[in-house]
Amino acid sequence: MNLSRDALRAAGAVAGLGLVLTACAPGGGQEESQPTATEISEADFAGESMTYVYFTDGPDEQVTRDLIAAFEAEYDVAVNLEILPYSDLITSVQARLAGDNAPDVVRTADLSPFRADLLDLSAFLGEDYVDQFVPAHAAAVVTDDGQMLGVPSDLTLNGPFVNVDLFEQAGVPLPVVEEPWTWEEMIVAGKAVRDATGVPYAFAMDKSGGRVSTVLSQYGTQLVDKGKMSLDTGKAVAALQPLVDLMAEDSMPRDLWLGSGSKYKSANEIFLAGDTPIYLSGNWQVGQFEQNAPFAWAAAPNPCAEECGGFPGGKYMVAFKSSPNPALSAFFLEFMNNAENQTSFVTASLNLPTRVDLNESGLTYPARQADMDVFLADLARTPEERSYANSDPAFSGSATALIAELDKVVAGEKDVPTAVADLQVSIEALVTELDG
Amino acid sequence: MSVTSVAGGSGARRRPATRRPSDPAGSRRRSKPLRSRLVPYLFILPNMAIFAVFTLYPAFNGFNISLYSSSNARTFTWVGTDNYARILRDDAFWAVVRNTAVYAVAFVAIAVTVAIAIAVLLQAQRRAKGFYRAVIFVPVLISPVVVGLVWNWVLERKGGLLNSALASVGLGQPGWLIEPNLAMGAIIVVAVWMHAGFYILILLAGLQGIDPVLYEAARMDGASAWVQFRSVTLPMLSPSIVVVVVLATINGFQAYDYIFTLTGGGPVGATTLVVQYIYDSAFRSPIRYGIAAAASALLFITIFTLTLLNWLVGRRREAV
Repeated sequence: MNLSRDALRAAGAVAGLGLVLTACAPGGGQEESQPTATEISEADFAGESMTYVYFTDGPDEQVTRDLIAAFEAEYDVAVNLEILPYSDLITSVQARLAGDNAPDVVRTADLSPFRADLLDLSAFLGEDYVDQFVPAHAAAVVTDDGQMLGVPSDLTLNGPFVNVDLFEQAGVPLPVVEEPWTWEEMIVAGKAVRDATGVPYAFAMDKSGGRVSTVLSQYGTQLVDKGKMSLDTGKAVAALQPLVDLMAEDSMPRDLWLGSGSKYKSANEIFLAGDTPIYLSGNWQVGQFEQNAPFAWAAAPNPCAEECGGFPGGKYMVAFKSSPNPALSAFFLEFMNNAENQTSFVTASLNLPTRVDLNESGLTYPARQADMDVFLADLARTPEERSYANSDPAFSGSATALIAELDKVVAGEKDVPTAVADLQVSIEALVTELDG
Repeated sequence: MSVTSVAGGSGARRRPATRRPSDPAGSRRRSKPLRSRLVPYLFILPNMAIFAVFTLYPAFNGFNISLYSSSNARTFTWVGTDNYARILRDDAFWAVVRNTAVYAVAFVAIAVTVAIAIAVLLQAQRRAKGFYRAVIFVPVLISPVVVGLVWNWVLERKGGLLNSALASVGLGQPGWLIEPNLAMGAIIVVAVWMHAGFYILILLAGLQGIDPVLYEAARMDGASAWVQFRSVTLPMLSPSIVVVVVLATINGFQAYDYIFTLTGGGPVGATTLVVQYIYDSAFRSPIRYGIAAAASALLFITIFTLTLLNWLVGRRREAV
């Protein structure tokens, strides 16, 4: 059978047109040059407008709107707040950057996808501005050559919650904040409560690289550290084996782990359903549990192994070089993160502060003060290098690889030492690719 | 009527002065004024413009991106065919190719068989035809994301609808979504459920086009129902079957959305297909747009080749 000459000609014409259309490097955009720093004059902003792309964990939305309203009223500026689902934020902002239609300011949990496009705030807010933030929390936004690519706006810390009703029903003592329990003690307690109350599980945790990194941290190791693979084989095996054993005996929900593939999966529904006495997640759950938990609950101290404390994460506010008014963007970031406004934001959203002064003075939360104090106490126990680990460009990919390897162990395809060895190879490759 | 040369100079050739009796259409075409000849093209121009801007250009640009390395869609580094070489060396890619092949072959075979069977049964149905057709078509109208979520509730090992039903009659609780082989079977069944309604509709249209006289003649020759189906229905339905096979093949290779909500590609990558590999390369850390674009180009070539083969086989059968 022959294709007609017309069809061939048409196909050739379309292909030729396509090649012409794409005969140059895609993207078309040139590297943005860093805008020149200017003296920020508030009067210059009157009548200006800007766009703030935001994702919300829930309780933070209203306080953000209130702060924006205050900014608009004070400086005669219009801020267009665009709230996107967290899962779409990076792809959406990437697409807008590629289309030369970037927002002015973005709230993000990951700087890596935008790093080359971010505005150096130190040029507008001064080189000393970064000193207002705890160095470990600011590590992610400061480059080797001293640029400040964003503001650490709020901090989160991983940690466990306990179902107080179940513990009391079982007659098992609750952990003491001042003297954190060990991993072994925590698991023994969880199993004792499960056996006494008949709930399905002894322990649950989110399927998340961050949460498993918490366990690694407690056993004294981490995935990456300052541009290098830093996973210790023995410590990693010691950290991961208990999780694998718990899932193998169905003391921890194996289905949640295997049934969610490569997706992040929260176990908060299992905790809220009263199906587990202990749930390892993080402080961002406090607001939701306050509203939705039909039982008494409490934040518990992170369990200790070689180390104590949790694993920090956080959000950043960043501005782009391509912003039509970079000075306004920088000024907005400074406003939103001054001591007064960060206090409003983190207390309303039940997060932890990143500013030095607020960490020193302490904060009063409108609700669940005791639970937030547990997280603050754990933050003080957390080794400082964990913050640096989280801000490494290779962390996110390494965390994904960690989950993939752990998946294989849980499914019975590998043992833990083999998975750790393979994980180390993956992390080395990622570090080479991403950290240069 | 005479037609003079269309180009001047010594190279110009003279066309026949008289109309050939065997080419009346060609003569009519020549006699139409330019304006009339342009009209059909003007009618399709808006559609073609949209197609060019939103399909052709992105497709060519995607191929172009596959020759570069980029982690931010802003800065691109020329790497030539390195992305293709890297993909072809990647064990994870070959794993998803195997998964996709198993899924696509099983899905096409089962979906086409089920669709033909149900279409024939519906065609023979005398009462409530419209009702049954509507019921069978409903899954096609449901968002794939919702399909994934609903089937997740059905297939969950603990507390899922299916396992609760099995438990009520004393049977076990299979891990439909956590055992690799069962999970692959589960996503194929859900895909057939989701797509079959549309295929049935196409086949029903084909069945209605078969002349009843053929069945009457077959019956007079003593043909059984099975022989009628094999010797009349299937051959006469083959153009519609080719269309359904082509559509099912494309659907099979492009499956992603409902699988992502149902299993997330798990357990342990057992239901990760090529489109999820592309998505993960492009949108999950570490972001690699060039790899994603190269994998997309390979997927396009595969689907295009299979579609062409289907079409050629269909044409050959038609000719026979």
